[in-house]
Amino acid sequence: MASTAGTVIKSGVKQVRPLLSVDNAEARKRVLNLYKAWYRQIPYIVLEYDIPKNEVECRAKLREEFEKNRHAKDVRVIDMLVVKGQMELVETVKRWKQKGHVMNYFRTPINPKPNDFLSKFLAGSV
Amino acid sequence: MATVIANVRPSLKLFQSVLTCSSRRAFGSTSVLMNEDPLKLAQLKEAPMKTLEDLFTSEKQDSLITVEKKVDIGCVTGVPQEHITTRHVRIWKPVKHAMQSGTNNTHKWKMEFESRERWENPLMGWASSGDPLSNMQLSFGNKEEAIAFCEKNGWEYSVTEVVDKQPRPKSYGLNFSWNKKTRTSTK
Repeated sequence: MASTAGTVIKSGVKQVRPLLSVDNAEARKRVLNLYKAWYRQIPYIVLEYDIPKNEVECRAKLREEFEKNRHAKDVRVIDMLVVKGQMELVETVKRWKQKGHVMNYFRTPINPKPNDFLSKFLAGSV
Repeated sequence: MATVIANVRPSLKLFQSVLTCSSRRAFGSTSVLMNEDPLKLAQLKEAPMKTLEDLFTSEKQDSLITVEKKVDIGCVTGVPQEHITTRHVRIWKPVKHAMQSGTNNTHKWKMEFESRERWENPLMGWASSGDPLSNMQLSFGNKEEAIAFCEKNGWEYSVTEVVDKQPRPKSYGLNFSWNKKTRTSTK
């Protein structure tokens, strides 16, 4: 019954076609390039979008967004993240976004899930 | 190793094309363009020229990289983080209908997310839910495929195994057996 197509993989390596980069060093270079491009664009973003954030806060957020994907190890995944980040950057630079789209990066979850017993009880989930 | 070095060059070209498609001011590329070789500049605007050698050597066969088999694509699928870390997936195989002998709908393994809060919508009294994954049920050819899909996407899962129940042998004649205690009195 078990076919070879969908076996559960725990470890091992395989040969695949690359997305863009052929090794980790090249992928890292792409990531750094993207980071720098965003970093240099931040003053213009703050100015043009008229967001209630200053450059320092934006840089911290930029750093945070990159750190969020620090766990990515696969070269193809890193490349895909870079491509997506690049698309975001182009959309921001060309002003295809509006103020709210930029502020979405700073958005905290609207309804944070209750953690302690009393707030869970009041929310009706106990 | 030699193949890797040989592959760096074409991919670097791609790399530039990825990071040159936005506005000039964004990357301060004017200063870069000033010092650039005019032939290279021409290539930036027009399609890259290919030599005969490039055309006759296939790029596919030697441009393979080695990656780990286990990959987590959760960060590139676009699924919100809260629907990756907080969701639980149930994997099971539907059972045969007890009252019918047909085995339709029992050949595929199913995958479903745990159900979240539902409420009665005051407008029409219909059921509402704020859960985007509530009505998603995926089918797989076997259990391993479903598990692999969940692992790839970073979802926590649990598998309900199939209970293989042997049918109890029954015969009409046993109803009249003298020692099986199957004869029930009608009085």
